[in-house]
Amino acid sequence: MANSAPVQDHVAGSNSPSTRARVQAFGGFLTNMVLPNIGAFIAWGLLTALFIPTGWIPNEELAQIVDPAIVYLLPLLLAITGGRMVGGQRGAVMGAIGAIGLIVGSDIPMFLGAMVIGPLGGLVIKKFDKMIENRIPAGFEMIINNFSLGILGFGLMILSFFFIGPTIESANNFVTASIEALVATGMLPLLSLINEPAKVLFLNNVIDQGIYYPLGMQAAAEAGKSIYFTVASNPGPGLGLLLAFTFFGKKVARRTAPGAIVIHFFGGIHELYFPYVLMKPLTIIGMIAGGASGIAVFSLFDAGLVAGPSPGSIFAYLGLTPKGSFIGIIAGVLVAAAVTFLITAVILKFDKSSDDEELEASVEKSKSMKQAGKAVAQPALKPSAKKEAIDKISFACDAGAGSSALGATTFRKKLQKNDIEGIEVKHYRIEDVPKDSDLMVVHEDLQERARRAHPNMEIIAISNYLNDPALEDLLEQLKK
Amino acid sequence: MLANHLEGNIRFLPSVDSWEKGIEEAAAPLLENGSIKPKYIEDMIQNVHTNGPYIVIVPGIAMPHAKNEDNSVVQTGVSYLKLEEPVEFPKNKEVSTFFVLAAEDSTGHLDLISDLSTILIEDEIKDKLEASKSEEEVLEVLNSVE
Repeated sequence: MANSAPVQDHVAGSNSPSTRARVQAFGGFLTNMVLPNIGAFIAWGLLTALFIPTGWIPNEELAQIVDPAIVYLLPLLLAITGGRMVGGQRGAVMGAIGAIGLIVGSDIPMFLGAMVIGPLGGLVIKKFDKMIENRIPAGFEMIINNFSLGILGFGLMILSFFFIGPTIESANNFVTASIEALVATGMLPLLSLINEPAKVLFLNNVIDQGIYYPLGMQAAAEAGKSIYFTVASNPGPGLGLLLAFTFFGKKVARRTAPGAIVIHFFGGIHELYFPYVLMKPLTIIGMIAGGASGIAVFSLFDAGLVAGPSPGSIFAYLGLTPKGSFIGIIAGVLVAAAVTFLITAVILKFDKSSDDEELEASVEKSKSMKQAGKAVAQPALKPSAKKEAIDKISFACDAGAGSSALGATTFRKKLQKNDIEGIEVKHYRIEDVPKDSDLMVVHEDLQERARRAHPNMEIIAISNYLNDPALEDLLEQLKK
Repeated sequence: MLANHLEGNIRFLPSVDSWEKGIEEAAAPLLENGSIKPKYIEDMIQNVHTNGPYIVIVPGIAMPHAKNEDNSVVQTGVSYLKLEEPVEFPKNKEVSTFFVLAAEDSTGHLDLISDLSTILIEDEIKDKLEASKSEEEVLEVLNSVE
């Protein structure tokens, strides 16, 4: 696990690996696996929204790309990224080999499976390489490397092929049985408990076309409309989720979410929001709550659609709404969006202050405490110093990875040593420094660029990332 | 942590002709063990040309690094070079100790940075490090703080 394992190993090796820190490390891992591939999701979403038979400009020829892209391209990309994160380039190859077994062995897009098999493949090859390290006779490296990957990959491919079919089948059976049981109770909002996770796992067609649409058609034949068409196709929760990412997400997720909204809400391609749920799995709570509220509102207004909306865009919804149901349908979509938005916002907000940075900080904290032999409880007893003016300091450099990280880490340690709490010190690429930073610390050589990027921010220029007089002054100022 | 990563990546040289050469020599072990590609070395040198010698993090010590573009970093790693004769960076900055940092992404190497910061923050440890004359001595100093 070339880039995240050192952190995890470290946590495990230090005195108290908090479960929370581990969960966060895992969340960061998922995010890193999904985020680099969002562009491919968007490309696929645009293609689908435009060219499928029910799309904006149907085009039979171009629509041929839709299926292979979602079945092969996207899961393979996830598996490759996941494999690479664990086992470098060899891990990436291994992840892809494993994923193709899953893909061919199942008949739904294997996203979650790819996110498991990718890193697993990386792990297998990494462990193997470690095992034979230094045991390869000189001159045989190339042949051993290639054949080891080939043979292990061959095994993984077959294993995943045979494993996946039965797994999917039992998942399908489980989902179908659960939904039927819930429908029988009449508690329709509860359906979201199954719907939302199942959708993200790409069982949406199974549940919509296999269960809800037949139920809906029966009801519509009698009443002219049915609520079953809406229970899993409501675009509201996805809208709420993506809006929450737009306002409270981080970096790439935040910037791509608005585009995803267009494709999801107006284009009706729900798959666009799936990666966002996959990278922050907790947000499924928001999706379930939003979905359930939507269904509750639909039933309250006795609203329904005349047919199954496909794709589930807001336009398809309005087009299929019978007279008299408009208020109920619109209200259901909006309420669902609002509920999901609020809950997701809280989840992301909470997450924001506690990502890798805090993980790192907590590792460091436990470490420095160990060194200083301090009691863990001690900092809590100190009244936190008052510093109304400054509570967010951003160190910046060219890449946001090297010297700024060193500067930020060192400054955090100094704050700790002086029992100064409540100041967030993080490191960024100059252009990525958040606008709400109280001040930015940057090397004097990079000062001009920093000023261009952030004309209104207070900037401290230093020539030494560790012991600059300007930083000593700042520390003195913060002590007061 | 840092010590584990540095093992086998530590070099000592009497002198180098230029700071560019210094970065190249310092990064050589990473290139050899496949952690980085030649492009990463070019990028680190270009970084100083473009952004100035800000990689000289404290007087005498440089931490050459660059962005990981086009997968020029295959695997996170660090290497160490100590020169008997300091070499001059732009703006008359003299450097005799190099910590080359190759980070696969912007988070995975933070514990290495944390260790490095612990070392450099204590003058006593820093002096010991700068006085070390062999790989064993360097590793010993690093291990003493972890």
